[in-house]
Order: sequence, then C-alpha cells, then structure tokens
Amino acid sequence: MPIADGRLPIGNIRQSAIENNLMFDHIERFYQPNSVREALLLLRKVGKRGRIVAGATDVATQADRSIRYLVDVTRLGLNYIRGNNRGCLIGATTTMATLEHSWVLRKFAGGILAKAAATCGSIQNRNMATVGGNLANASPAADTASVLLALDAEVVVASSKRKRKIALTEFYAGTHQTVLDSGLLLEVIIPTLPGGGRMGWSFQKLGRTETDISLVNVAAGIQIDAHGRIKWARIALGAVGPTPLRARKAEELLLGNTFSEDLLTRAGAAVEKEVSPISDGRASAEYRREMSVVLTRRALRECAAQTVEAASRRHMAR
Amino acid sequence: MAAIRGEDSGLRTPHLGLMVMNDHQLDLMVNGEMKQWDIAPGDLLLDVLRREGYFGVKRGCETGECGACTVLVDGKPINSCMMFAAQAEGRHVLTIEGVAPGDKLDPLQEAFLEYGAVQCGYCTPGMILSAKALLAERPDPTEAEVREALAGNFCRCTGYLKPVEAVLAAAKVYRAHAAKPVKAKTSQKSKRKSQRSKVANPSARS
Repeated sequence: MPIADGRLPIGNIRQSAIENNLMFDHIERFYQPNSVREALLLLRKVGKRGRIVAGATDVATQADRSIRYLVDVTRLGLNYIRGNNRGCLIGATTTMATLEHSWVLRKFAGGILAKAAATCGSIQNRNMATVGGNLANASPAADTASVLLALDAEVVVASSKRKRKIALTEFYAGTHQTVLDSGLLLEVIIPTLPGGGRMGWSFQKLGRTETDISLVNVAAGIQIDAHGRIKWARIALGAVGPTPLRARKAEELLLGNTFSEDLLTRAGAAVEKEVSPISDGRASAEYRREMSVVLTRRALRECAAQTVEAASRRHMAR
Repeated sequence: MAAIRGEDSGLRTPHLGLMVMNDHQLDLMVNGEMKQWDIAPGDLLLDVLRREGYFGVKRGCETGECGACTVLVDGKPINSCMMFAAQAEGRHVLTIEGVAPGDKLDPLQEAFLEYGAVQCGYCTPGMILSAKALLAERPDPTEAEVREALAGNFCRCTGYLKPVEAVLAAAKVYRAHAAKPVKAKTSQKSKRKSQRSKVANPSARS
C-alpha cells in the first residue's frame, strides 16, 4: 500500500537523511531573489563562496564544498523566447524542454537550436537544465553552445556596475571557465541571420546513447547565392577542444565554391586540423578527431540538400 | 523582497548540519495535499521527500542519470536528486504514492502489473511517472515516443520491452476513458460535457 501521507515517527529517519546528504550540509543560505537587481546585489555580497543556481543540474552533481551560498535565478523573469524569422532573444533561464518545444525555434534556422536542446540528456534533465546554465557551465561538450556559435550568438551579462554584450566567441576563457566572473548571464541574442531563402542548417551529435553527453557535435549553417556558390558559412564543433569552437579555416575554404564531394572532403580535412580533442572514458582523441570529420561532412551534406530543396521550392512557386 | 532560505536561527550549526533543519519552512503541495516542512537551505528534494516518508521516490545514482528519483513537478518529470527542495516552493509535486487516488490503481499501474513490467521494482515508480507525463501530453504515443519518454529511467534488470508494452496498453485505456462521454451523446453539448469531465477528473491529466 502506498504511504500517502507519510509522516512517520521521524527521529531516526531524519538523522539518516542528514547523514545521507553530506553533499550540501555546508550550504548556509538559499537565496531566491525576485529581480535582477536584487540578484546582482546578492551575488556581490556572497562573492566567491556563492554560486548561481538555475536548473541545478550542474551545481547538484558537482557538489563543490567551498560553496556556502546559493542564489536561485529562476524567479527573475528570464524564461522567454522572443523572435521571428530574422532574429531571436532567449532568456537565460529558459529550459531545454522549452527550447525544444518552441514553435519559433523549431522553424528558426532549420530548427537546429530546438534539435540540439532535444539532445541534452533525458527529459527529466531537459525540464530543469537551462540554456544560460549550459553556456555558463562552459563544458566543451555543451550541445546548445556549438549551435549558438554557428548562429553568431551574443550573450547579455550584467554585473552590479554595468550590463554588457559579449559575443559567444569571446565568452569562453577555458574548459569550464568563462569571462562571467561575478556577472549574471541574462539573455542570449541571436542576431539577424543573413537574408536570402537558400539557407541550409544542420546539427549532428554523436553520443553512446539517447541521453548521453556529446562525444562530438557539429552545428553548421550555409548560405548560397543564385549561382550555387557558398557565400556564408558557419561550422562549430563541441567536445573536441577545451571550449566549443568555430572551425574558421574550414568555413573560409567553403566560401565562393559550389558543393561537391571534393569540397566536403577538403572541409573535413581542414576541420581535422582545427580540433584538439582529448581521450577520456567515453572516447579516444583519435576517434573524436575522425568523427569530427565524418560529422562535419554529414552536416554540410544536409545543409546542401536543404539549399537545393529551397531552390526547387522557389522554382515550383514560379 | 527576496525570499531568504536559511535566515539566522541562533541554533544553526551549519558545519555539522544538525540543527540546520529548523532553518527554513517550505510550503508546497504533494500529491494534492498542502505541506509545510522544515528544510535546510542545501536540502535536495529527494532527501526531503524520503525524510517525510515518500519512499516511492528512490535514491539511485544521485547524479541525474538513472531516473529512479523521478517525480512530477507541476506535471513535468524531473530528477529530484538534482533539484533543491527550496525550489519546489509553491509547486505541485506528484510522487508514485499520489498516482492512484483511493484504492483503485491507475491504468498505468494496472498495465505494469498485467504485462509483467515490474521486476525488482526499483525503477518502476520513476517509469510510471515519466509515462504519466507523456500520456498527459500525448494520449496516443508511438512506440518511439514511449521509448524516448522512458529514456531517462534506467532498468538494471534490463526489462525495457515490457514497460513499453505496458505504457502503450495503458494509453489505450486512458483514451477509452476519455472517449466515453463523447460517445454517449453527439453535438456541442457533449463536447462541453467532455471538457467538464476532464476538469472533474484532474488525476487523469496531472
């Protein structure tokens, strides 16, 4: 029978629960500010012994014992997606599940951000994890980070003194390190994408299981002109370097060319030189390097197919 | 003003973690009942629920991988090992104890029994809650959707086929329940009625 209202004689149970939860017995305060201003004041007050919590998926699993204060930022009104087909603003505490199911994002840029969000762990994880946390945690394998790099995203960061915009390419200082310092990430801005209907987008992820962290992920975006030549290209990769990275040499190599298997091979070779993966329990550096090439080619092939589709749709409309 | 969890209480000895319990009061709804609990600022929802006797919430990996600690917060499945209890303030938590109102089992629970989807049973509460959230959103899921919904619930007895079959079977039962009032009458009146019956029977959706 279920214990519906289980107020059992508590004494011993309570004691054992305390013993079980040694991870967070050192937390002295849990702050839940209701405004950004309040949150910033608190963050300044708690300093290095404080930590920001949103979805808590990283904080709860890392269990850093030096932390004494937690500042919950989920009540600051930063849960929103505002956008159209030209650009997009996303609040920092918007969950992965919200990104995944957003109609705006499912259409925006081939839906790659929604697709990437849908691969971030299990449904339980995605109902908690936030896009701001995915960036601020600065894991090289963060799935939304590569997509946002490919979309030229910027982040709005506030400190008690000022508010500034930082390009995502300038945001990372190293593995699990950002330039945030004691600042608070408020918003992700996806600027207006290059105009023109012949765009192609792709997000590719390789993990061991449905809910696994990326062994390698690739986000790519391509725009081609009326003659089928590539005039804009973005290739970003995750889990193959100290931070999520743009493969700029491969991007440059694509410009001005038309799609061909030879071009994809050359782009793959360029990517191979730009990545610097490590070996860990999940995969070896060699495997990750090889897979970066494979996934890049796959991503570009998908992009190419979409640009062809876009062209034929236009042709049909005429 | 900010709600401050863990204001000075004089009795607090944070380094031992003993008296911290009295530090903060958490108001939330669990399985439809209002609760007021004393928690420590660093308490995880999993620990608080088990301390209060909800032993259907299982302690598994404690790193958000296995899903044994799954509960529904405002209808959505989350890992209670990764949520701070303070974050559940003012929200509705559903544990396996609240899935069957009264003595009658939920169709999902019936189906798990009927299909032999329970082996050791440790993952079962989480699986049923994940499935419940799925069926509330998608009354007619495909097998792939069921598998995806259960992807965050590990079964180390390796029994995945039976739970998937059970969820698909339970979905049919749910749909049959939902369809009944519409079948009885036609026209707009019945539509309104079926809407009303949905409201009157929130357990089918929550």
